[in-house]
Amino acid sequence: MKNWLIMLSFALAVAVGAFAFFFVINDQPELRRAARARDAMQWLRVEYRLNDAQWASIKQLHEAYDEVCERHCAAILAARERAAPTAEVAALERVCVDGMTTHFKQVAALMPAGQGERYLAMVLPKVVGYDHAGAPTVRVQR
Amino acid sequence: MNMNSDELKLKRLLEDWRVAPVVERAFRTGVWTRIERGRGVAGWVSFVRGHAMVCAMVLGLALGAGAWTGRERARIGVELERAAMLTSYVSALDARSMKMP
Repeated sequence: MKNWLIMLSFALAVAVGAFAFFFVINDQPELRRAARARDAMQWLRVEYRLNDAQWASIKQLHEAYDEVCERHCAAILAARERAAPTAEVAALERVCVDGMTTHFKQVAALMPAGQGERYLAMVLPKVVGYDHAGAPTVRVQR
Repeated sequence: MNMNSDELKLKRLLEDWRVAPVVERAFRTGVWTRIERGRGVAGWVSFVRGHAMVCAMVLGLALGAGAWTGRERARIGVELERAAMLTSYVSALDARSMKMP
Protein backbone atom coordinates (compact mmCIF):
# COMPACT_ATOMS: atom_id res chain seq x y z
CA MET A 1 0.00 0.00 0.00
CA LYS A 2 2.80 2.39 0.96
CA ASN A 3 4.65 1.52 -2.24
CA TRP A 4 1.55 2.25 -4.32
CA LEU A 5 1.18 5.62 -2.62
CA ILE A 6 4.82 6.44 -3.37
CA MET A 7 4.26 5.31 -6.95
CA LEU A 8 1.15 7.48 -7.35
CA SER A 9 2.91 10.49 -5.81
CA PHE A 10 5.75 9.98 -8.25
CA ALA A 11 3.28 9.72 -11.14
CA LEU A 12 1.58 12.91 -9.96
CA ALA A 13 4.93 14.70 -9.89
CA VAL A 14 5.63 13.46 -13.43
CA ALA A 15 2.23 14.71 -14.60
CA VAL A 16 2.75 18.14 -13.02
CA GLY A 17 6.23 18.37 -14.55
CA ALA A 18 4.94 17.38 -18.00
CA PHE A 19 2.07 19.87 -17.71
CA ALA A 20 4.43 22.71 -16.82
CA PHE A 21 6.92 21.82 -19.56
CA PHE A 22 4.33 21.52 -22.34
CA PHE A 23 2.46 24.60 -21.13
CA VAL A 24 5.63 26.68 -21.31
CA ILE A 25 6.72 25.45 -24.74
CA ASN A 26 3.24 25.97 -26.24
CA ASP A 27 2.47 29.29 -24.59
CA GLN A 28 3.03 32.60 -26.40
CA PRO A 29 3.46 35.06 -23.54
CA GLU A 30 4.38 38.01 -25.78
CA LEU A 31 1.23 37.57 -27.85
CA ARG A 32 -0.90 37.21 -24.74
CA ARG A 33 0.62 40.33 -23.22
CA ALA A 34 -0.16 42.36 -26.37
CA ALA A 35 -3.70 40.95 -26.53
CA ARG A 36 -4.37 41.68 -22.87
CA ALA A 37 -3.13 45.24 -23.29
CA ARG A 38 -5.38 45.51 -26.39
CA ASP A 39 -2.29 46.81 -28.19
CA ALA A 40 -3.18 46.04 -31.80
CA MET A 41 0.10 47.14 -33.32
CA GLN A 42 2.17 45.10 -30.88
CA TRP A 43 -0.16 42.16 -31.47
CA LEU A 44 0.34 42.43 -35.25
CA ARG A 45 4.08 42.54 -34.75
CA VAL A 46 4.18 39.40 -32.63
CA GLU A 47 1.40 37.47 -34.38
CA TYR A 48 2.77 37.95 -37.89
CA ARG A 49 6.48 38.08 -37.01
CA LEU A 50 7.04 41.54 -38.44
CA ASN A 51 10.48 43.08 -38.52
CA ASP A 52 11.01 46.73 -37.59
CA ALA A 53 10.69 48.01 -41.18
CA GLN A 54 7.52 46.01 -41.89
CA TRP A 55 6.03 47.05 -38.58
CA ALA A 56 6.77 50.75 -39.22
CA SER A 57 5.24 50.59 -42.72
CA ILE A 58 2.11 48.86 -41.45
CA LYS A 59 1.77 51.35 -38.61
CA GLN A 60 1.98 54.19 -41.13
CA LEU A 61 -0.63 52.51 -43.31
CA HIS A 62 -2.96 52.12 -40.34
CA GLU A 63 -2.53 55.76 -39.37
CA ALA A 64 -3.34 56.84 -42.93
CA TYR A 65 -6.38 54.56 -43.01
CA ASP A 66 -7.61 56.01 -39.73
CA GLU A 67 -8.63 59.20 -41.55
CA VAL A 68 -10.42 57.23 -44.28
CA CYS A 69 -12.17 55.17 -41.62
CA GLU A 70 -13.28 58.32 -39.80
CA ARG A 71 -14.80 59.70 -43.03
CA HIS A 72 -16.68 56.45 -43.62
CA CYS A 73 -17.80 56.43 -40.02
CA ALA A 74 -19.05 60.01 -40.17
CA ALA A 75 -20.96 59.35 -43.40
CA ILE A 76 -22.64 56.21 -42.02
CA LEU A 77 -23.53 57.91 -38.73
CA ALA A 78 -24.93 60.94 -40.53
CA ALA A 79 -27.05 58.72 -42.76
CA ARG A 80 -28.35 56.77 -39.78
CA GLU A 81 -29.07 59.97 -37.87
CA ARG A 82 -31.21 61.46 -40.58
CA ALA A 83 -32.89 58.05 -41.05
CA ALA A 84 -31.68 57.77 -44.64
CA PRO A 85 -33.15 55.04 -46.86
CA THR A 86 -31.78 51.56 -46.18
CA ALA A 87 -30.27 51.39 -49.67
CA GLU A 88 -28.24 54.54 -49.02
CA VAL A 89 -26.91 53.24 -45.69
CA ALA A 90 -26.14 49.89 -47.32
CA ALA A 91 -24.22 51.67 -50.12
CA LEU A 92 -22.17 53.62 -47.55
CA GLU A 93 -21.48 50.41 -45.67
CA ARG A 94 -20.41 48.82 -48.96
CA VAL A 95 -17.89 51.63 -49.45
CA CYS A 96 -16.64 51.01 -45.92
CA VAL A 97 -16.27 47.26 -46.52
CA ASP A 98 -14.45 47.81 -49.82
CA GLY A 99 -12.12 50.34 -48.18
CA MET A 100 -11.36 47.98 -45.31
CA THR A 101 -10.76 45.05 -47.64
CA THR A 102 -8.34 47.08 -49.74
CA HIS A 103 -6.60 48.30 -46.60
CA PHE A 104 -6.21 44.78 -45.23
CA LYS A 105 -4.81 43.59 -48.55
CA GLN A 106 -2.28 46.43 -48.52
CA VAL A 107 -1.27 45.50 -44.97
CA ALA A 108 -0.98 41.82 -45.97
CA ALA A 109 1.30 42.78 -48.87
CA LEU A 110 3.76 44.32 -46.41
CA MET A 111 3.95 41.18 -44.28
CA PRO A 112 6.53 38.39 -44.58
CA ALA A 113 5.87 35.58 -47.06
CA GLY A 114 3.09 33.32 -45.84
CA GLN A 115 2.05 35.67 -43.02
CA GLY A 116 0.07 37.95 -45.34
CA GLU A 117 -2.15 35.08 -46.44
CA ARG A 118 -2.64 34.01 -42.85
CA TYR A 119 -3.54 37.59 -41.89
CA LEU A 120 -6.15 37.86 -44.65
CA ALA A 121 -7.57 34.45 -43.74
CA MET A 122 -8.08 35.76 -40.22
CA VAL A 123 -9.38 39.29 -40.82
CA LEU A 124 -11.52 39.00 -43.96
CA PRO A 125 -14.06 36.56 -42.47
CA LYS A 126 -14.55 39.08 -39.64
CA VAL A 127 -15.40 41.78 -42.21
CA VAL A 128 -17.78 39.52 -44.09
CA GLY A 129 -19.35 38.06 -40.96
CA TYR A 130 -20.03 41.43 -39.35
CA ASP A 131 -23.05 41.42 -37.09
CA HIS A 132 -24.86 44.71 -36.53
CA ALA A 133 -26.28 43.44 -33.26
CA GLY A 134 -23.02 43.28 -31.35
CA ALA A 135 -21.05 46.36 -32.26
CA PRO A 136 -17.89 46.71 -30.20
CA THR A 137 -16.36 50.15 -29.72
CA VAL A 138 -12.75 49.30 -28.93
CA ARG A 139 -10.25 51.51 -30.72
CA VAL A 140 -6.92 50.30 -32.06
CA GLN A 141 -4.11 51.52 -29.84
CA ARG A 142 -1.13 53.09 -31.52
CA MET B 1 67.48 -5.43 18.86
CA ASN B 2 69.30 -3.14 16.58
CA MET B 3 67.18 -0.08 15.79
CA ASN B 4 68.20 2.89 13.81
CA SER B 5 67.26 6.40 14.93
CA ASP B 6 64.14 6.68 12.70
CA GLU B 7 62.70 3.45 14.01
CA LEU B 8 63.43 4.56 17.53
CA LYS B 9 61.60 7.84 16.95
CA LEU B 10 58.63 6.00 15.52
CA LYS B 11 58.58 3.57 18.44
CA ARG B 12 58.54 6.46 20.92
CA LEU B 13 55.87 8.28 18.97
CA LEU B 14 53.67 5.20 18.96
CA GLU B 15 54.24 4.68 22.68
CA ASP B 16 53.22 8.25 23.41
CA TRP B 17 50.21 8.24 21.08
CA ARG B 18 46.91 8.01 22.85
CA VAL B 19 43.68 7.77 20.98
CA ALA B 20 40.86 9.72 22.54
CA PRO B 21 37.74 8.78 20.58
CA VAL B 22 34.72 11.06 20.83
CA VAL B 23 31.74 9.12 22.03
CA GLU B 24 28.88 9.59 19.60
CA ARG B 25 25.73 8.71 21.48
CA ALA B 26 23.53 8.50 18.39
CA PHE B 27 25.96 6.31 16.49
CA ARG B 28 23.97 3.10 16.83
CA THR B 29 20.66 4.80 16.03
CA GLY B 30 22.24 6.48 13.03
CA VAL B 31 23.49 3.18 11.69
CA TRP B 32 20.03 1.63 12.01
CA THR B 33 18.37 4.62 10.40
CA ARG B 34 20.67 4.35 7.40
CA ILE B 35 20.07 0.62 7.16
CA GLU B 36 16.28 1.13 7.27
CA ARG B 37 16.45 3.91 4.71
CA GLY B 38 18.42 1.68 2.38
CA ARG B 39 15.89 -1.08 2.92
CA GLY B 40 13.03 1.34 2.08
CA VAL B 41 14.56 2.45 -1.22
CA ALA B 42 15.52 -1.09 -2.11
CA GLY B 43 11.99 -2.19 -1.19
CA TRP B 44 10.40 0.40 -3.44
CA VAL B 45 12.79 -0.36 -6.28
CA SER B 46 12.03 -4.08 -6.00
CA PHE B 47 8.31 -3.24 -5.86
CA VAL B 48 8.63 -1.27 -9.11
CA ARG B 49 10.56 -4.13 -10.66
CA GLY B 50 7.92 -6.55 -9.56
CA HIS B 51 5.14 -4.42 -11.08
CA ALA B 52 7.10 -3.06 -14.01
CA MET B 53 4.23 -3.15 -16.50
CA VAL B 54 1.68 -1.46 -14.25
CA CYS B 55 4.19 1.14 -13.07
CA ALA B 56 5.24 1.90 -16.64
CA MET B 57 1.60 2.30 -17.63
CA VAL B 58 0.83 4.60 -14.70
CA LEU B 59 3.89 6.75 -15.42
CA GLY B 60 3.19 6.80 -19.14
CA LEU B 61 -0.40 7.79 -18.50
CA ALA B 62 0.66 10.53 -16.08
CA LEU B 63 3.23 11.83 -18.54
CA GLY B 64 0.77 11.78 -21.44
CA ALA B 65 -2.07 13.35 -19.47
CA GLY B 66 0.18 16.07 -18.07
CA ALA B 67 1.71 16.84 -21.47
CA TRP B 68 -1.63 16.92 -23.29
CA THR B 69 -3.33 19.04 -20.62
CA GLY B 70 -0.43 21.49 -20.52
CA ARG B 71 -0.36 21.82 -24.29
CA GLU B 72 -4.13 22.25 -24.59
CA ARG B 73 -4.30 24.72 -21.71
CA ALA B 74 -1.65 26.90 -23.37
CA ARG B 75 -3.20 26.55 -26.83
CA ILE B 76 -6.73 27.40 -25.70
CA GLY B 77 -5.46 30.38 -23.70
CA VAL B 78 -3.57 31.75 -26.70
CA GLU B 79 -6.53 31.10 -29.03
CA LEU B 80 -8.95 32.97 -26.77
CA GLU B 81 -6.64 35.97 -26.45
CA ARG B 82 -6.03 35.92 -30.20
CA ALA B 83 -9.74 35.77 -31.06
CA ALA B 84 -10.55 38.66 -28.71
CA MET B 85 -7.68 40.73 -30.13
CA LEU B 86 -8.69 39.99 -33.71
CA THR B 87 -12.29 41.03 -33.09
CA SER B 88 -11.22 44.23 -31.40
CA TYR B 89 -8.68 44.99 -34.15
CA VAL B 90 -11.15 44.56 -37.03
CA SER B 91 -13.96 46.35 -35.19
CA ALA B 92 -11.74 49.34 -34.55
CA LEU B 93 -11.28 49.75 -38.30
CA ASP B 94 -14.87 48.98 -39.18
CA ALA B 95 -16.97 52.14 -39.57
CA ARG B 96 -20.14 50.04 -39.46
CA SER B 97 -19.49 49.22 -35.81
CA MET B 98 -19.22 52.85 -34.71
CA LYS B 99 -22.07 54.12 -32.60
CA MET B 100 -23.51 57.58 -32.20
CA PRO B 101 -22.14 59.32 -29.09
